[in-house]
Amino acid sequence: MNADTETSSLVLAGPHGAGGAFPNGNGGPAGPHFFGYDEVRDPHGMTRAHWQPFYRHAPDLSGPEFTRRWRDGQRVIRENGVTYNVYGDPHGMTRPWQLDPIPFLLTPRESADLEAGLVQRGRLFERILADLYGEQRLLREGLIPTSLVYRNPRFLRPCQGIRPPLGQYLHLYAANLARAGDGSWRVISDRTQAPSGAGYALENRIVVARTLPEAFSACRVQRLATFFQTLITALRAIAPRNKDNPRVVLLTPGPYNETYFEHSYLARYLGYTLAEGGDLTVRDNRVYLKVLGDLQPVDVIFRRLDDDYCDPLELRPDSFLGVPGLMHAVRTGNVAVANAIGSGLVESPAMMAFLPQLCRRLLGEELRLASARTWWCGDPESLRYVLDNLADLVVKPAFPLRNHTIPAMDCLDTATTADRIRAMPHAFVAQERLPMSMSPTLTADGVQPRKTVLRLYLAAHGDSFDMMPGGLCRFGPSADSELVLMQAGGGSKDTWVLTDGEVNPFSLLPAKDTPIELTRGGGDVPSRAADNLFWLGRYAERAESLARLLRCILSRLSERSSAAESPELPALLRTLSAQTDGKPKGEADVLPALYNRDDPNSLTTTLHDLHGAAGLVRDRISLDMWRVVNRAARETHRDERPTYADALDDIDVTILRLAAFTGMVVESMTRTDGWRFLDLGRKIERAMHLRHLIHDTLAVPQPAENAILDAVIEVCDSRMTYRRRYLGTLRFEPVLDLVMFDESNPRSLASQLATIADDVNNLPRVTTAARGPDQRLSLAALAALQTTEVEKLATVTGGRRLELIDLLHKLGEWLPQLSNALTQQYLSHLQKSRHLSNAMTATFAPPPSVFP
Amino acid sequence: MIRYRILHRTRFTYTEPVSLCHNMAHLIPRECPWQFCEQSQLDVTPPPAVLDTRTDCFGNMATHFAVQEPHRELTITAVHRIGVLARLRPNAAQTPPWEDIRDRVPEWLHAVQFLHPSCYVIAAEELGRYAMESFTPRRPILDAALELTHRIFEDFQYDPQSTTVSTPVLEVFANRRGVCQDFAHLQIACLRSIGLPARYVSGYLSTTPPPGRPRLVGADASHAWLSIFCGEAGWVDLDPTNDQVAGDRHIQIAWGRDYDDVSPVKGVILGGGQHKVEVSVDAEPC
Repeated sequence: MNADTETSSLVLAGPHGAGGAFPNGNGGPAGPHFFGYDEVRDPHGMTRAHWQPFYRHAPDLSGPEFTRRWRDGQRVIRENGVTYNVYGDPHGMTRPWQLDPIPFLLTPRESADLEAGLVQRGRLFERILADLYGEQRLLREGLIPTSLVYRNPRFLRPCQGIRPPLGQYLHLYAANLARAGDGSWRVISDRTQAPSGAGYALENRIVVARTLPEAFSACRVQRLATFFQTLITALRAIAPRNKDNPRVVLLTPGPYNETYFEHSYLARYLGYTLAEGGDLTVRDNRVYLKVLGDLQPVDVIFRRLDDDYCDPLELRPDSFLGVPGLMHAVRTGNVAVANAIGSGLVESPAMMAFLPQLCRRLLGEELRLASARTWWCGDPESLRYVLDNLADLVVKPAFPLRNHTIPAMDCLDTATTADRIRAMPHAFVAQERLPMSMSPTLTADGVQPRKTVLRLYLAAHGDSFDMMPGGLCRFGPSADSELVLMQAGGGSKDTWVLTDGEVNPFSLLPAKDTPIELTRGGGDVPSRAADNLFWLGRYAERAESLARLLRCILSRLSERSSAAESPELPALLRTLSAQTDGKPKGEADVLPALYNRDDPNSLTTTLHDLHGAAGLVRDRISLDMWRVVNRAARETHRDERPTYADALDDIDVTILRLAAFTGMVVESMTRTDGWRFLDLGRKIERAMHLRHLIHDTLAVPQPAENAILDAVIEVCDSRMTYRRRYLGTLRFEPVLDLVMFDESNPRSLASQLATIADDVNNLPRVTTAARGPDQRLSLAALAALQTTEVEKLATVTGGRRLELIDLLHKLGEWLPQLSNALTQQYLSHLQKSRHLSNAMTATFAPPPSVFP
Repeated sequence: MIRYRILHRTRFTYTEPVSLCHNMAHLIPRECPWQFCEQSQLDVTPPPAVLDTRTDCFGNMATHFAVQEPHRELTITAVHRIGVLARLRPNAAQTPPWEDIRDRVPEWLHAVQFLHPSCYVIAAEELGRYAMESFTPRRPILDAALELTHRIFEDFQYDPQSTTVSTPVLEVFANRRGVCQDFAHLQIACLRSIGLPARYVSGYLSTTPPPGRPRLVGADASHAWLSIFCGEAGWVDLDPTNDQVAGDRHIQIAWGRDYDDVSPVKGVILGGGQHKVEVSVDAEPC
């Protein structure tokens, strides 16, 4: 590291500080110049005024203090599971969110100008949408070419004639902006259907404000929370009923979407239920959330699903991410969707070429904030210009084309591009190439300049909009890269909007001015979430049972000198076999059962399954629970062949993590039906493991049974209790009583069955008159244990404890049946929708009687 | 004027119960100057929880219905009494040259939306070339279109086994066979490929042949044809399956850009296993 420590001037200078492009506060030698606008330095090489407080208060970026804090910050990102799914990434689906610690700064004046410009743009889009889905005067008057609308797959005919609640189309609108060479801002694209990134902006703020607290407070940065309050108010206002406290769901395409993290994060932050299309159903033209044994009416859908995916009946038929019948529910005014379905029409790049004239016509104003100059090639004059200046322009599809695919134009030479444009001019637009501004970014090679694009957000406020005092700033993967795309490997920055006045310390707590009906519920657990919680419980318990068994085996393997010293090992290995793949296990199989990632039953794989299951219910478990699971999944990997001692260390850590998880399940989760499913999953899984353990160790009496009995109480974590009750004397009956029948021992089989029966009894039921199959099964299992005499089970006939085997066999049949009964009763409407369409073929085949 | 009684029954049977279905139907005939409904009824069994009829963006009657109780069978019965008048047919030789219509299309907003590719109709060079054999320079538009209709009738074979609803128009063009729907899509694609608006019409064809006239293909089933835009002369309906201008034996239900806009019944079901569909159509003069 460069030893230069003059923090006021060189904070941003990395190891190559002298050659870096960033300010030397004394106006010293400027680094090499690049084309475009420098965010930090003015043309004379002086630090811009609004950056000075930042430099004065930020720690030295190469110093130990910053390094430590930043490592903490990155850990938070990892542990909070801030991820961005990258399609086609061979190294797994998610990767950590790339965040740069150096924020992007906007002066109060600049942000006020941007806000005024974007608010006008938002109002303009509202008017355009209302016209194109209504009277279409703009087409009649020729202000927008008809083919831009009629050819545009984003123009959704089923939306024609629908007036959204309050006439509002956009409730959350985002625009991407970049700077021109003179530093002025241009809009380069708009996001009007389901803008992403506002949640990442929140997360970035939390991490960066924690990393640079002194600079953050010295710079007087505006808080983000008021913006989200505005959004909540806007979504409440469009509810067709229950305006005081409407049920709002956040509709997500699901965990495989690139920004799923953000969907669950925002849902939690805004207090909405996260729902996939399959969680919702339309009945009587109303939308309902499928919860356990019930349907609950939904008033507002805040969607992160693109327009045409919203309803497979009237929109795109090839996707079932949406809700069949939703379009008609919207049409009949029974549900509000934000943004209104069809809003994507105005984000077509071609629309930008027409905004100035539309603004004059619709608002009677000049467009305040310019777009990057855009030419739509469907216009002959524009086409000529584009073909003449192709090298200086960025060519984009004018709108998505369903039947044709347009390859990335970047990799084509100019001549080929020109040919393609000539063949289908209306399908392309060209945009001026903006130089973009350069921002300092911390890289492995120190602080380096990166081209930056800013995404700003607006929320509807009455008939206007409020801008988020912040945003998502993104940069490219290298200094000359113009590809500022998260998919392409760039990163993001927190955006600090500075204020001259006081910082509003508002935080997103429940509104104080409106009375809220008290509720103990939160019981709206979608059936899908219950299913996932059930599996979360099963994986958590599976991992713990396996870890305890492996610890017991490994401790014996690491201590003994010969097999004779551990007569219980064969029995434990039999149990291991029963708990994994059923194949016989030897000593050589023990470490793979812990570490082998390719074995679907290994502990490592189970921990990853647990992590995956937790990822599906991110919105239902606490951040701490997620962190624990996240760590457990990451920390069982070893590059070198581990020794038994290493393995024991790893298992100890894993068991502690799982214990922490279980502790939070017990101590921190409210007892909703969702919690009950999680608990049921745990208890059913543990009961199954106990059944295996008891069967494989005790069904056939062994000569050295004491060692086996000791191992059993060790695996069951019941040694302490046993010692206290019976001192050192190990006998079959007391051990069996403790691990099988004693309901006061939370590790006993009877305790699991009692809890299961209790949980099952508390699940919602339509009728209480007759017991459901789940209740009958759980009661039968519990009763079988409660009516058995322990002493009888000790009887050995023909070298086997037949009564014990018989009882365990019955339990072995009931437990899976119980699991199935629960699925059938509560989760069965997780069926998939299908089309009737292909059946229509027959409509056109004339009946044979007519054509002999 | 001829009066018709139309009975159109569609019956779906499922191997497993369907717990919920949402459907959209285009089964109620739209009215226009040459066609009016004296009586129109749409019955669904089991009784639907929702049954709404609205005017869609093309002016057709679209019916939404949902059955929310478990069922193994769904029957949709449409019964209509309709009067159809003979239409005035413009004198083909006096229609404007086709290039004039092509160049003036933007003046007619209602026609423009039938100019562009749609779900089942794509524009393609080979289709344009095929059309151009009839659309010679300055030829009156309807005159040329009638010849194109005739050529499709001659060049293509009616073959119910050859295609399904989703057979692409280029495949139909290459194989030279199909059903009424394919021929309608094909001629629409030919016309749009040379810049002329054309729309898809779904409807019925009356079965009883008047004395001395041949029985027509497509009788007693849903039928489909197309309509070409001839400027001030309006839209003219052409039936390439039967090589004729649609007259008072063609009873229209709805029109749109292609089949997808006006399919008689489409739906999304929950459950159901395998399903089977039976359709019967009866269109008799009364």
